[in-house]
Amino acid sequence: MDFISNTDAQNGEMLAAIGIKSIDELFEAIPKHLKVKRPEIDDGMSEYDVLRLMEQIASHNTYSQYVNYLGAGAYEHHVPALVGAITGKSEFLTSYTPYQAEASQGMLQLIFEFQSAICALTGLDVSNASLYDGASACGEALLMSLRLRKERNKVLIASSVHPHYRGVITQYLESHHTEIVLIPIKKDGQLDLNFVNDHLDDKTAGVLLQSPNFFGIMEDVKEITSLAKQNDVLTILCANPLAYGIYATPAELGVDIAVGDCQPFGLPLNFGGPYVGYMACRQELVRQMPGRIIGETVDTKGRRGFVLTLQAREQHIRREKATSNICTNQALAALACLIGILWYGKEGVPKLALTNYQRTQYLKQGLESAGFQTLGGTRVFNEFAVKFPKPVLNHFRYHKIEPGVSLELYYPQFKDFLLVAVTETKSQEQLDHYLSEAKEII
Amino acid sequence: MKYTESHEWVELQNDVATVGVTNFAQKELGEIVYVELPIVGKHVKAGEEAAVLESTKAAADVYSPLSGTIIEVNKLLNESSELINQSPESNGWLFKLQISDNKEYDNLMDSKAYLAKFK
Amino acid sequence: MSKTIFEKSQKGQHAFSLPKESRAFLSFHPPQELLRKQPLELPEISEIDLTRHFSQLARKNMGIDTHFYPLGSCTMKLNPRINEVCAALPGFSRTHPLAPEDAVQGNLSIISELITLLSSICGMTAGTLVPNAGAQGEFTGLKMIFAYHRKRNDNKRTEILVPDNAHGTNPATAAMAGYTIVPIRTNAQGDMDLDDLRKKASETTAGLMLTNPNTLGLFSPLISEIAKIVHEKGGLLYYDGANLNPILNIARPGDMGFDVMHINLHKTFSTPHGGGGPGSGPVLCNDKLKEFLPVPRVENNKIIWNDPNSIGLMASFHGNFAIYLRAFVYAKMHGHLGLRRIGEQSVLNANYLKAKLSKIFTIPFPQHCMHEFVIQADNYLDKNIKALDIAKRLLDYGVHAPTVYFPLIIKECMLVEPTESESKDTLDQFVHIMEKIVEEIKTNPTLVQTAPHTMSVTRLDEVLAAKRPILKH
Repeated sequence: MDFISNTDAQNGEMLAAIGIKSIDELFEAIPKHLKVKRPEIDDGMSEYDVLRLMEQIASHNTYSQYVNYLGAGAYEHHVPALVGAITGKSEFLTSYTPYQAEASQGMLQLIFEFQSAICALTGLDVSNASLYDGASACGEALLMSLRLRKERNKVLIASSVHPHYRGVITQYLESHHTEIVLIPIKKDGQLDLNFVNDHLDDKTAGVLLQSPNFFGIMEDVKEITSLAKQNDVLTILCANPLAYGIYATPAELGVDIAVGDCQPFGLPLNFGGPYVGYMACRQELVRQMPGRIIGETVDTKGRRGFVLTLQAREQHIRREKATSNICTNQALAALACLIGILWYGKEGVPKLALTNYQRTQYLKQGLESAGFQTLGGTRVFNEFAVKFPKPVLNHFRYHKIEPGVSLELYYPQFKDFLLVAVTETKSQEQLDHYLSEAKEII
Repeated sequence: MKYTESHEWVELQNDVATVGVTNFAQKELGEIVYVELPIVGKHVKAGEEAAVLESTKAAADVYSPLSGTIIEVNKLLNESSELINQSPESNGWLFKLQISDNKEYDNLMDSKAYLAKFK
Repeated sequence: MSKTIFEKSQKGQHAFSLPKESRAFLSFHPPQELLRKQPLELPEISEIDLTRHFSQLARKNMGIDTHFYPLGSCTMKLNPRINEVCAALPGFSRTHPLAPEDAVQGNLSIISELITLLSSICGMTAGTLVPNAGAQGEFTGLKMIFAYHRKRNDNKRTEILVPDNAHGTNPATAAMAGYTIVPIRTNAQGDMDLDDLRKKASETTAGLMLTNPNTLGLFSPLISEIAKIVHEKGGLLYYDGANLNPILNIARPGDMGFDVMHINLHKTFSTPHGGGGPGSGPVLCNDKLKEFLPVPRVENNKIIWNDPNSIGLMASFHGNFAIYLRAFVYAKMHGHLGLRRIGEQSVLNANYLKAKLSKIFTIPFPQHCMHEFVIQADNYLDKNIKALDIAKRLLDYGVHAPTVYFPLIIKECMLVEPTESESKDTLDQFVHIMEKIVEEIKTNPTLVQTAPHTMSVTRLDEVLAAKRPILKH
């Protein structure tokens, strides 16, 4: 079936108004040899049949039967019911980019509020309207640092930044022939600060860290920002924004640009997307920040209103000199994150972050007591690496537990470790089940 | 005063040149909201991008008409970019440079030629 | 005066509830020295106030559901709710991107089948659903072109040719990929200037980025010749799929000579525009380029995360799965005939509007258009009325304005795209409204100049917003 409104009769009237006999005349510009034959059979489906088909395909995904302990940049959290109710509203779901500001005050204001929420979480001065995901946000931030330090062409990137993010980053930096120096990690899963000391110099434009890092461990960010400031190097911190519910903000740590993925607030796992990248920075850097930015202004009657601003940086005006090629932001997904953040609010975000931390420690320390080695001590957030003496995936899966991401693919030195994420969705019962199955292995 | 095809004007006194954009340019751009001025000390070649003017709907590159070193920029523009619209060919000047090649100045258009081309 | 959610904060109020606590959890405390000291300045707001705030904001917004939205180049067609119902099925939404393959066979089958479907519609042989938006798709395609030339050890190819009427993302993306942009002129008939192309295509050309029909809504009959010119010089052709709607199952970019392309699922395949995202920009290619496709890939129901010839990762995981899932539903519902009917109807609707509006506006290109057409609204400049003013007055009549001032090469440009969704009735109403506005221009131009009058705000001071930016609460 299709969603075409017109009847044949109405189409007939339209053809007459145009002054042609058949619709084929409208396609005369297409050379004959390029024309595709019109399908003769209708292979479409009714709404009911497609729903049944999708339910059937969904049933081929057995994953929802497992208790999920996978993290690594995508976290299972409760998605408040209000999120779907708001994002499903016609006026938000079916509107476009707010280029006609007067007709889009709803969208513009909520993005302004999203920007404000990101600033509240990070403590920084300005935020953009969102980017595709955490990975592209990191790439864009590094490009931003190169623009701000035009005479320098070297960046330092922590090896403890998510491996997929580092993969995407190379795409952004490739054409600039930037020297990329990877900061190695020590056996404990944290960055080698001596290395940073040796390699961070006045030829470095920016340094990118992640904290909590890929192993869930909090890095010594302050140490690095101090070093960076001595050499006028820009620091970029990539982080799960939920961590700022309990941990020090980028502003407090002296960071210049904060990036990451807002997925933990208000977005389901959805097999990896759509997620929402965020970027916030200090005031002086705003003109080099990519992406859309919404600003407050007034109308002709002095009433408050919101508009897309600082657009001269963007692709539709600057074209090849644009700060980025980005056209969409994640709008509706950013709205979902905003509702998620606001639903928890001033009191709830710290409480949510704390219970994530506590449940993680419960499992982590339980495993340690059973004799398993973990990384990070108490310096983790809602994820940690644990070493299992032998292959354990099948054992856990038999008991309908997906126990963690195997680090073998990413870090050979940690090949026997699993990365385990514990969020507020895990009850004590479930965590005890994990512990008892782990003990079975020994 | 001399002019370029890309709507810059330049006034030379000894070997110091003052550069700005013409009235035609400011009208085309609309209200200027931001100016990205060059760094003092920067070396530029004639025809090289030296500054950027932003309005809400457009961004325009300003090209240095002559080769030389930037010795001064119009700091007033940081707070009052509208000076460029109000007084493009005097108070709205952008930067001054110490030129390196006198001959380049002679090759630019004079006001008669410029106005003939861009009324 | 409108308040932001921050200004509605009331001390002690909240909406949240947390999962059941356990005493065993309470003894764990994060290290003191790492803690946040800076207060968290988020609003304190109850659930009803939160709900009301956003519901009221919704009323200040136009969407396809509520208003005719002929925004050229954006394809504002109906976003069917069946897409939403299917995307929300927990069997899909609860899958983690790193879940073991055998537990997500449903997702993998959708990925494989959708790539096959899109490839066949477009005359390509392979593809990826990973790019998160059209611009990201362009970036991916250009990276693949770069990899192709590098594999041939051809380092001379530093230029990308782009028509002067191209969408801004084309040159911006080419610059990001490290290329120099060489613009190609459009002739007076709205087609590519072939002489200019012949002059500029050379051994330093990596490729040409093009959309067909172009941004003026015109199909270039010269496309095979264009492809030949570029291919003969060793360059490749990139198809910007933004204008795919009118040629669905009518003509195929692969047949036209394109080597690689992207599709905007949020345009052609009805995934929701969402106020500016999230989009999805799948990339399709022919055999020349398929080895360079990004990872992850799905092959034989398995996920491949590494491949030596691949350009690598272009997103954190599999791309916007929940978005292309919607496109899959849409494609399955329509089938090949349904998709063809989309192409036919979108073109019929556009030409009907063009015929009716040509009585009151200048249509610079008189030939049949495809799914969209350009109006040159400069015939009212003597009354000081610009395209922007007409656009703003349309809002008062309950219509979202067409795209204005794009493409850049047409004066006082309005780009109108009705899409196949709209009925003749709606189109007639639109024509009637435009006629009324033209009347107003003659009898009461100030009304149009100062429009809109019935929105929640009047014209906004964009200069102030740019000069004295207030970017947060």
